[in-house]
Amino acid sequence: MTFNFAVVLKFQEALFLGLWMTLKLTLICIVLGCALGFLVALARTSKNAILRAASSVYVEFFRGTPVLVQLFWIFFCLPLILGVELSNMTSGVIALTLYMGAISSETFRASLKSVGREQLDACVALGLSHWARTTNVVLPQAVLRAAPTLLSNCVSLFKESALVSAVGMADLMFVGQNISNNTARPIEVLTIVALIYFVIAFPLTRAVTVIERRILKRLAL
Amino acid sequence: MNYSFDFASVFRNFGPLWDGLLVTIELTIAANAIGLTFGFVLALLVMSRSPVVRLPVTLFIEFFRCTPAIIQIVWFFYCVPMLFNVFLGSVTMGILALGLNLAAFNAEAYRAAIQAVPREQLDAGVALGLTPFQRVFYIVLPTAVRNSIPVLLTNGIGIFQQSALVAIVAVQDLMYQGKTLATQTYRPIETFTIVALFYFAVSFPVSQIVGYLERRREALAS
Repeated sequence: MTFNFAVVLKFQEALFLGLWMTLKLTLICIVLGCALGFLVALARTSKNAILRAASSVYVEFFRGTPVLVQLFWIFFCLPLILGVELSNMTSGVIALTLYMGAISSETFRASLKSVGREQLDACVALGLSHWARTTNVVLPQAVLRAAPTLLSNCVSLFKESALVSAVGMADLMFVGQNISNNTARPIEVLTIVALIYFVIAFPLTRAVTVIERRILKRLAL
Repeated sequence: MNYSFDFASVFRNFGPLWDGLLVTIELTIAANAIGLTFGFVLALLVMSRSPVVRLPVTLFIEFFRCTPAIIQIVWFFYCVPMLFNVFLGSVTMGILALGLNLAAFNAEAYRAAIQAVPREQLDAGVALGLTPFQRVFYIVLPTAVRNSIPVLLTNGIGIFQQSALVAIVAVQDLMYQGKTLATQTYRPIETFTIVALFYFAVSFPVSQIVGYLERRREALAS
């Protein structure tokens, strides 16, 4: 069998467009998902039982079902329920944001728990409002402690984003599969696509390790 | 919204869904068998002193951890038959792809647990005159395996969820049957909801067990 990697070069531009779609989708969902995750983590520790129950059900459900099923559900069922057409991009963003929100809320919950009780007591003693306490005392520490896990969540999201190809969004995976089917050269094309994913995800996982070590050092002071 | 639900149409076709669930569970169990054993071998190899052993194994592990599972599965189904001129039946191929992916993740779990065994315990082993083999078998392994159980369980249930990806390459698992049924009955909401509940009903108890094990370990540690 002979390999012909030059075939892939011809489709450079299409692959770049696919990669751009993957990166755009990932970045949007990281920002929205982190914000959602933080709010849900607060809701899970709230005094209101309904808020607590609703947020728990959301998190457990999204962590307990395959992302592929979630994507299909949101692509095919949400438009029926809402009675409006959703663009592919909107559905993709909704699905991956909800997934990112669910896994990140667990990260934030663990980091919130690690903020010492004494600090909250100190805030009360200083007469800080609830809002000031959350944004100025709890949030900075929670984010710092959550940083390494959040970053590895981002890598997971980047990888899971390849699933949107299954519902027809033109991301890197989708473009790669199309080229592979049209050229009948799956080995070359799919290997290159896998390498592109690897080249982006691998340095990030290394960064997780470095950041983890630094933060541990800083918190140990 | 004015949509009338008809869950009965899903329950009339319960048979295929049930068969799909069995295939999904078969994939999960077999992939876990590969992941638990092969992952352990990989963990030992990745900690080897010889770079000739360590480098290729590290590359293998990192490659599986840093690329989407879907491309691994698609790659496996398209490229392995072309490269090696074999096709082993779609379920077997699915098991191998998922098993190798899980082995890479489990290798990291084993490695972390082995390296977390305190240095002093090994020193104590040396002081007691245990051979290197005895030190590994009676000191390192029991602690390491016990400590890695929560992560191994989480990875195992992760592969149960990832197994839905084989539906894309037409293995007739739960997801595949759900997709077929949704198209046949024009009832995507009911079908995909039931399919999601099937997955949830299996994953949720396992994640609760992991939570319990972790809480117990924290309580024991403090």
